[in-house]
Amino acid sequence: MTELTLEEIDVDGAIREAEDRVAQLTRRGLLGAVVASGAGLLALGRPGTARAVTKNDVAILNYALSLEELQSAFYTEAERLRKLEGKARQAARRVGSVERAHVAAFRKALGRNAIRRPRYNFGGVTEDERRFLKTAVAFEDLAVAAYKAQAPRINNRGLLAVAVSIHSVEARHAAWMRYLFGIRPAAEPFDSGIEMSEILRIVRSTRFIAGPPARTTRRSRPRFTG
Amino acid sequence: MSEFAQDPGEETRGNALRRGLVALGGVLGGSALLGWLPEGARSARGAAQDVRILNFVHLLESLEDAFYREALKRGKLRGDMRDFARIVGRHESAHVAFLKGTLGKKARKIPSFDFGDATGSRHRFATTAIMLEDTGVYAYNGQATSLTPGALRAAARIVSVEARHAAWIRALAGRSPAVDATDALLTEAQVMKRIRKTGFIKS
Repeated sequence: MTELTLEEIDVDGAIREAEDRVAQLTRRGLLGAVVASGAGLLALGRPGTARAVTKNDVAILNYALSLEELQSAFYTEAERLRKLEGKARQAARRVGSVERAHVAAFRKALGRNAIRRPRYNFGGVTEDERRFLKTAVAFEDLAVAAYKAQAPRINNRGLLAVAVSIHSVEARHAAWMRYLFGIRPAAEPFDSGIEMSEILRIVRSTRFIAGPPARTTRRSRPRFTG
Repeated sequence: MSEFAQDPGEETRGNALRRGLVALGGVLGGSALLGWLPEGARSARGAAQDVRILNFVHLLESLEDAFYREALKRGKLRGDMRDFARIVGRHESAHVAFLKGTLGKKARKIPSFDFGDATGSRHRFATTAIMLEDTGVYAYNGQATSLTPGALRAAARIVSVEARHAAWIRALAGRSPAVDATDALLTEAQVMKRIRKTGFIKS
């Protein structure tokens, strides 16, 4: 690569950095026991080969899953509330079904290593066409930037192939929503990636994530409180 | 659904979803995932291969660039379609400049192009632009696993813009901007077969 003027990337450094971040996230409970219980997934392929699914790959997959879950919940709610009409309604339905397919695929790939789905509160943005489209543009542009930043860090080539083929679909969605919102679908000749910490900060700032996952373990009956 | 019925069974429709997502699901099962990847995806990544791939996409970007230039020069486009050609044409010029600058002396010569009547009407322009932009996306995607991380980082900044162009022109033409859950990954041979069929490459 020395004769090329492409942006240099310290891959090992980037992965260490990502692992540190993942460790922090795990301590905060966001990724749960992903890394610790990834034994089955991580056993695939010898370490250091293109077949190996690294701990970092699992973390990236869960990160992608969390963004797909957010999008999926958003479109599904928009569809369920039936406040959108015409082209926005059609786009919500079509894009929603794709995001749900992404979620299902990531969940299947991760199995018990998958993060749990938090509860969302979209605060009414799914009930008004302009607010819906504005939010959709933000979500889709964000997803494009997120996949873009992570792609060069994915070790397993199969996962990388899937990630890039989803990355460009998210870009199509972004352009579609921008078109419907009435802004330029492709603003610049080059799209930029955004790092995980910044993406997560932006997602948190929306306050759309209302709380931790609903408990899936069976609850005891509500205590009689008189 | 009916609004998009005219979408002429893209070869990627359904297949990509099945292949891509089934492959993803198969990761855990340890299936022969690499068998699903395009030819070349298993070859050794390195500077020489980056140069070969960048030359390949440089040809595609040059083709797109020339197509929009001619469409604007010919002057048959109006309104939103003309805006699209103008803005997207500028993007393609920027991609060509970037790739040419990156390749430097290793840049292969770009052939001359002949677009025949493809720029002669709004409809023919849109049909051709959709084909070129979709193919561009599939071409970059198909090379992703063969690039070094540094080159992939650069290519990823371009491919999503190509996907935005594809969705944009599809919306303008009344077709679905995003058909599948995953975009296809085409090999260089598959892409070149598609391009050669158009007869746009002269020499």
